[in-house]
Amino acid sequence: MRILVAEDDALLAEGLTRLLTKAGHGVDRVKDGNGADSALRATPYELLVLDIGLPDIDGFEVLRRLRQRRSQTNVLVLTARDAVEDRVRGLDLGADDYLTKPFSLTEFEARVRALLRRTSLPSGPIVIGGLSIDIEAKRVTANGIAIDLTVREWGLLELFLTRPGRVLSKDFIGQQLFNYDDHLSINTIEVYVSRLRAKIETAGMHIRTVRGFGYLWEQLDA
Amino acid sequence: MPDTRPGVRSIRRRLLFFLIPSLLFLVLCGGVLTYGVALSVATSAYDRSLLDPVLDMAENIRIGADGPHLDLLMQAQQALMYDHVDSMVFQIRDADGRVIAGSDELAAAPTLRGGETRFFDGVYRSEPVRIAAVRTDSGFSVQVGETLYKRNRLIWEILAVELVPTLLIAFAAVALAWTGVKHGVAPLARIRSELLGRGPNDLQPLTETGTPAEIAPAVKAFNKLLGRMREASAVQQRFLANAAHQLRTPLAGLQMHLELLLRRDLTPDVRDEIEGMHVATTRASHLATQLLALARAEAGGASGRDVQYFDLRQIADAAAQEWVPRAIARNIDLGFVLENAIVSGNPLLLSELLNNLVDNALRYTTSGGTVTVRSGTDDGGRPYLSVEDNGVGIPEDARSKVFERFYRIEGTPGDGSGLGLAIVKEVADRHNGFLTVQSGATSGTRIAVTFAAPAAPPARDAAPKRHSVITDVGSDAAPLHP
Repeated sequence: MRILVAEDDALLAEGLTRLLTKAGHGVDRVKDGNGADSALRATPYELLVLDIGLPDIDGFEVLRRLRQRRSQTNVLVLTARDAVEDRVRGLDLGADDYLTKPFSLTEFEARVRALLRRTSLPSGPIVIGGLSIDIEAKRVTANGIAIDLTVREWGLLELFLTRPGRVLSKDFIGQQLFNYDDHLSINTIEVYVSRLRAKIETAGMHIRTVRGFGYLWEQLDA
Repeated sequence: MPDTRPGVRSIRRRLLFFLIPSLLFLVLCGGVLTYGVALSVATSAYDRSLLDPVLDMAENIRIGADGPHLDLLMQAQQALMYDHVDSMVFQIRDADGRVIAGSDELAAAPTLRGGETRFFDGVYRSEPVRIAAVRTDSGFSVQVGETLYKRNRLIWEILAVELVPTLLIAFAAVALAWTGVKHGVAPLARIRSELLGRGPNDLQPLTETGTPAEIAPAVKAFNKLLGRMREASAVQQRFLANAAHQLRTPLAGLQMHLELLLRRDLTPDVRDEIEGMHVATTRASHLATQLLALARAEAGGASGRDVQYFDLRQIADAAAQEWVPRAIARNIDLGFVLENAIVSGNPLLLSELLNNLVDNALRYTTSGGTVTVRSGTDDGGRPYLSVEDNGVGIPEDARSKVFERFYRIEGTPGDGSGLGLAIVKEVADRHNGFLTVQSGATSGTRIAVTFAAPAAPPARDAAPKRHSVITDVGSDAAPLHP
């Protein structure tokens, strides 16, 4: 897939480029905001790795212009400044994920994989481990065997798939899955999660319980 | 309260130091003037009535066969000489100076022309008297003296009528000045309480509306100073943001290249060395991050506009995103017990506080351990945030020192920067938070930050004192060093 790396630090940009190229992606590199802006206008990238502290126009502005053009390009923001502040602003402007410098290679790779997976979400089945999910047909198979999911379980699965690597709190799940008339208790959410967990376990998937908080989707090592 | 330290003088005192002597001086001047007026009034009034008996006697001098004599009956003389207050005396001398009637104890009158009258002060039987004298055309001189009692009484009456109200007015003026100054400085008290009620880094300008014209320039100047400080603080913030960027980016590049290297086929000794470099780079990055966080906390992100009412659960939520994956990587069970805890504070700094508490707990908890983040309100309705672990614990003698910068407990394996808990303390102090450390000697630590209950507006005076760390042992929360 085409990936644009917008990073002014040569050492970091070179490392990122090398890593992504090795993973089989077509990678372009720019070292300032204007360069990023014109590259993004010319080429439909699947992913933009965007440093906030670019020398001419900053990453926020590049992001704002990109979203103004209604581009669907996934954006992974790299920030070296105040993590929380930049995160909030970046996400407000339409960034899909963020990383605070310095970050580990594995962390970076995981985020990139998750974002690129998101790109392929609408078309064709998504394959994670032994799980194959066809969003449009609402069909799931584990190791080739079809699994029956209730509407709630399906909603829960979608929540996890669209927020890879995120810890989902029970409150959040409650807000997302149920409307006001249909308010369900925390216990009910636990029941749905444990049912879904049982159904996907054979495919090497696991929903980890974060004590007193919520759940984290994990792919167990084969 | 008036401040009585040397060099510090209250406006009231200064005013009284000026007012009391000047008023006394004015009262004294008034007294002297009144005395003069009273004296002249009393003298001219009583002199006129003293002249009457003199003239009566002068008209009743007859020259008989045995020489001149006063042709008045004794009763008439007594009637003329009667006064219900003063004693009176008279004397008549002939042209040669011989006393022909009356007392001879009066001195001879000064030489007068014929028909001339005069008033003067004299002495009769060693008492001061006022004397009226006249010289008749036929050369007799008649004097009548009178003691000064009624004159003095009149003078004192006039003085009293004048001076008592003046003194009362002077006292009233001082009292009014005293209370007036109190009213006058009331805006200063308002400014004082406004300043005292502020957070340590609140550089917002003072309210200028309603400030009296005399203080307005001072308030304006003060606000100007605050403005410059805000600007300086903003410059420092920008510097910090840039410094963070400049420091972290090359470290990120270095770390990335080391990790890329580590993925290659390496001989064991090269791998060892690169792993050592990787650990050092990670620590340097962590230290840079922590230093900047500490500097940020000091630079006062807790200024007015950054402070909001919010639930500590919100920051616990963000912490979960950040720390659960890391806890899983270390095989530590990171759990949450979250209840509503509304505080008034800076969410960014308080997230920093929680991040460092969790980071600290994870660092000193071994694989298979448990870390729990709690939020809620205590029995007194005060919101708190706590992190507990079942890790190595903090020895008793180290408990009060763990919040010092770069303090590391001897013999602990962690690779922390030694700044984590210093950041916690800095942020807690900035929010008037109260730190509690509970720890077994060898296992488990619970660090809690309790904040003042956020009444709206928050009762700042009721907040716990700054710089207070309470350490205690075991599970009971009895303070050792209150």
